[in-house]
Amino acid sequence: MRLRDLIFTWLLILIVVGAIWYSEDITTPHPEPGPVHIAYWEKWTGFEADAMRDVVNYYNRSQNRIHVDLLMVSGIENKTLMATAGGNPPDVAGLYGPNVAQYADDHAIQPLDAYCRQYGISADQYIPAYWNMGFYHGHVYALPTTPATTALHYDKTMFQQAGLDPNNPPKTIEEMDSDAARITTTDAQGHILKSGFMPSEPGWWNWAWGYFFGGKLWDGKDKITANDPNNVRAFSWVQSYAKKYGVTELQTFHSGFGNFSSPQNAFLSGKVAMELQGVWMSNFINKFAPGLKWGAVPFPYPADRPDLADSSVLDEDILVIPRGAKHPKEAFDFIAFVESQKGMEMLCMGQRKHTPLRKVSAWFWAHHPNPYIKLFADLAWSKNAITPPKIGIWPEYGAELSNAFDEISLMQKTPRQALDEVQARMQGKWDEYLRHLRLRGEAR
Amino acid sequence: MILYRPEKRRTNMRRREIITALLFASPWIIGFLVFMLYPLLASVYYSFCDYSVLRAPAWIGLDNYTDLWHDEVFWTTLTNTFWYALMAIPFGFLVTLSLALLLNTKVRGMALYRTIFFLPSLLPGVALAVVWMWVFNGDHGVLNEVLRALHVPNPPNWLGDPHYSKPMLALLGIWSAGNAVVIYLAGLQDVPQPLYEAADLDGAGWIAKTWHVTLPMLSPVILFNLIMGIIGTLQVFTAPYVISPSGSPARSIYFYTMYLYDNAFIYHKMGYACAMGWILFVIILILTMAALKISERHVYYGGS
Amino acid sequence: MAVDSATVREKHQRAWLAGQGRAFVLHLVLIACSIVFLVPLLWMLSTSLKTLDLTMKQPPVWIPPHLEWHNYKDAFLYESQSLGYIPFLIYGRNTLLLCILTVSGTVVSNALVAYAFARLRWPGRDIAFAVVLATMMVPFPVLMVPLYTLFRAFGWTGTFRPLWVPAWFGSAFFIFLLRQFFRTLPTELSEAARIDGCSEWGIFRQVVLPLAKPALAVVALFTFMGTWNDFLGPLIYLLNQDTFTLSLGLQFYQSQNGGTDWNLLMAASTMVIAPMVILFFFTQKQFIQGIAITGLKG
Repeated sequence: MRLRDLIFTWLLILIVVGAIWYSEDITTPHPEPGPVHIAYWEKWTGFEADAMRDVVNYYNRSQNRIHVDLLMVSGIENKTLMATAGGNPPDVAGLYGPNVAQYADDHAIQPLDAYCRQYGISADQYIPAYWNMGFYHGHVYALPTTPATTALHYDKTMFQQAGLDPNNPPKTIEEMDSDAARITTTDAQGHILKSGFMPSEPGWWNWAWGYFFGGKLWDGKDKITANDPNNVRAFSWVQSYAKKYGVTELQTFHSGFGNFSSPQNAFLSGKVAMELQGVWMSNFINKFAPGLKWGAVPFPYPADRPDLADSSVLDEDILVIPRGAKHPKEAFDFIAFVESQKGMEMLCMGQRKHTPLRKVSAWFWAHHPNPYIKLFADLAWSKNAITPPKIGIWPEYGAELSNAFDEISLMQKTPRQALDEVQARMQGKWDEYLRHLRLRGEAR
Repeated sequence: MILYRPEKRRTNMRRREIITALLFASPWIIGFLVFMLYPLLASVYYSFCDYSVLRAPAWIGLDNYTDLWHDEVFWTTLTNTFWYALMAIPFGFLVTLSLALLLNTKVRGMALYRTIFFLPSLLPGVALAVVWMWVFNGDHGVLNEVLRALHVPNPPNWLGDPHYSKPMLALLGIWSAGNAVVIYLAGLQDVPQPLYEAADLDGAGWIAKTWHVTLPMLSPVILFNLIMGIIGTLQVFTAPYVISPSGSPARSIYFYTMYLYDNAFIYHKMGYACAMGWILFVIILILTMAALKISERHVYYGGS
Repeated sequence: MAVDSATVREKHQRAWLAGQGRAFVLHLVLIACSIVFLVPLLWMLSTSLKTLDLTMKQPPVWIPPHLEWHNYKDAFLYESQSLGYIPFLIYGRNTLLLCILTVSGTVVSNALVAYAFARLRWPGRDIAFAVVLATMMVPFPVLMVPLYTLFRAFGWTGTFRPLWVPAWFGSAFFIFLLRQFFRTLPTELSEAARIDGCSEWGIFRQVVLPLAKPALAVVALFTFMGTWNDFLGPLIYLLNQDTFTLSLGLQFYQSQNGGTDWNLLMAASTMVIAPMVILFFFTQKQFIQGIAITGLKG
């Protein structure tokens, strides 16, 4: 008994020591002589990851001074934040365009102006809206990777079934509302069977509805304008759907929707005829509902505001060099390649989006799988392109607006009430934010 | 003549005792000093600063705390958390204890049953999100299908209706019962058999046996699970965050730690988050001390 | 007085029937509850054997018309286009290494520390215990950043060390748990051993530890589960794809704008939790069917 215990104990000790030794071995970096290694952290998976991997591989093979080590990881912002704060950030990070102001105010990312000049990268090579997203307080902080715009996607078959002309989708919001009313059908108990349009589907840009009606969320200086009359008008329009079709009926209908990424997606399965969606929607249609007859047009504008035509929510992924990166020069050499027409088209074609550059090759248009790619690209030029306000408190502001949207959709508050509350809260937060900046000697 | 000095001998013994005890406790003591002290003190300091993690903290005194007092979302999440705790703690306690007693009976195939009950607590978070959405879906979810089969009219829309989202989370907690049940089971093994036999001789039925033998002998473990329950439910995070990071619909399942996390890592307001953290700490501390005080009379420690 | 054998037999038969009836009812309740608990796992299994378009169908299809067993192989080989090698084995190896280190560390350190709190008297003990409990009451995000800075100062980021070294220094949950267990053990045996001249360490090793095997098994199991499923720790501290763990690997099945392959994700998840299920099934004897203390209990 004693001997067995002894052997057992020593065996355990051996295993533990062995595990320690092995784990240390795995995590010890084996630096290879030769090219400079730069760490690049990105957020993508699946075919999107493959697209960037192709770009990285091409770059690595094309020269032998610099080798990019690509790491795909979820929770990219969290991880990059911790690493930058801890002083060992990656050399290049793929973050989110709308948060540039926050990153820059936090001094988390380096200005890229000098590098841009060195490599001849300038604003006139880009579609203005995409360049502007990375431009903040007089400096270039980020360069775009893959862009996105949104448009009204509509189901031609459902249009036909409701007696509407599938080649004549609505141009104004009022037309869309009435088309939606024609398409929406309910059963004897009042349960919705089919819907023409629902502002909450997919519900990814609930902060943006105000812009579609000409409202703004910020005056560009120190005033938050959440309860701007046009914003209230937009939310009244949103609430009109809840009033017309009933909160419970809409909720029940909504809970019957399948997962977004599946054939049971509301739009893909013929439950909702029209929705605001992005340039990637065509991928999902091809994957899950290849037989769907669909079209895309710019999202409608209010009939009394034709100046708001071609409104589209605009977004982009960006590349930044975090503060404290070990090899910023080499990092930018790689970024410059991504920003070149060759690199960018490889990436954007691989991800099936359009490109943020002005110059586009004929090959790109000809081979792109999205039949409406030109529409999405053109919408980026629109003077009514919608981007979130470039303020450091945007993440919280966006969350507040989403919550307000929920509240009015559930008829818990009137649009005026909900937006007044957002206004009060966010004005307070913005004042505090500016106050703290001044405390640090960074007055605006 | 050297006189025998009993006091010195006793102090020596006592000193040896203390040294031995400290040696036993040394892993924790060292670990605390190295891994815990700095983060704890740092976070207290941060709670009095404007700190975005990426930049050095700047002292702002009590600003964070006064801002919290006026922050509507702070109060919303605090109330949400309390409501949830009020539902989840008693419910969880009843369910886990009953399950443990059930799983302690001598029925064939018990090993299999126990594994089954333990399974859901093994699922990785990413799979759980989808599973729960499936079970609680208002239209075709498993739960509502069952309720409809039992002729319950209009089963609620668990995920979409703000009145039902918190109860849904409390129900969902059943599946993570596995851990607490296992702890109870281990504790049940240590209830001395002779006590049961003596109770049998007295003609006690199983209810009486449970009440007079099992529960008292199990009381230290019950106390453990209860306190862990308080500490755990007040910090509820993973489950609701995975279902809806923003706490939809309308922040009905937006809980305290979720708002804390958002402030820390998404809004880059770590100082504010630290203030929230320490407020929660105080609340949990008070509740735990209350629980310990109340339980003092009811917990029986067999070893002393 | 002579006992009528017939009535004795009757009595035994009635008792036996009552026992059977009780067992039947228990089985019924157990089966009903089991179904409730099995729902998530059954759904996972069912999804893992479907084709993609069936996965989210409503009303749900529980048994797909054709069982796509190849999903498991596909999930296993999934990333070979993107990453060039099969990460599952590597991630599994990494996760296993971490589990070995954390389980051994947790069991050893917490047993020692809990013993000090449960059975030894020393100045400051109760205050220290209050501190132990208090550390569980601080929400985790608050401590994450200073802790990361600390590990960075040690030079431990990018290694496995932040994920297992702290386990060797005790953790509040297990200290509390084991302390409660140790306190349920009768002191007579320890007293007897002490009178016999046994050192404290001897008492600990020869008297208390064997009695506490069920609790220690629970500690080992929970630690294994915790490390196996840990996501946040590896996310923050690991820098190289080769060092990732299984929980990080599962993230790769989810694509932002490309659509998640639910069937493969479920197949992968099933494979990931399988070792834990097997471990639990075969080791539950340890902590549930414990070791009866013949000396004192029977």
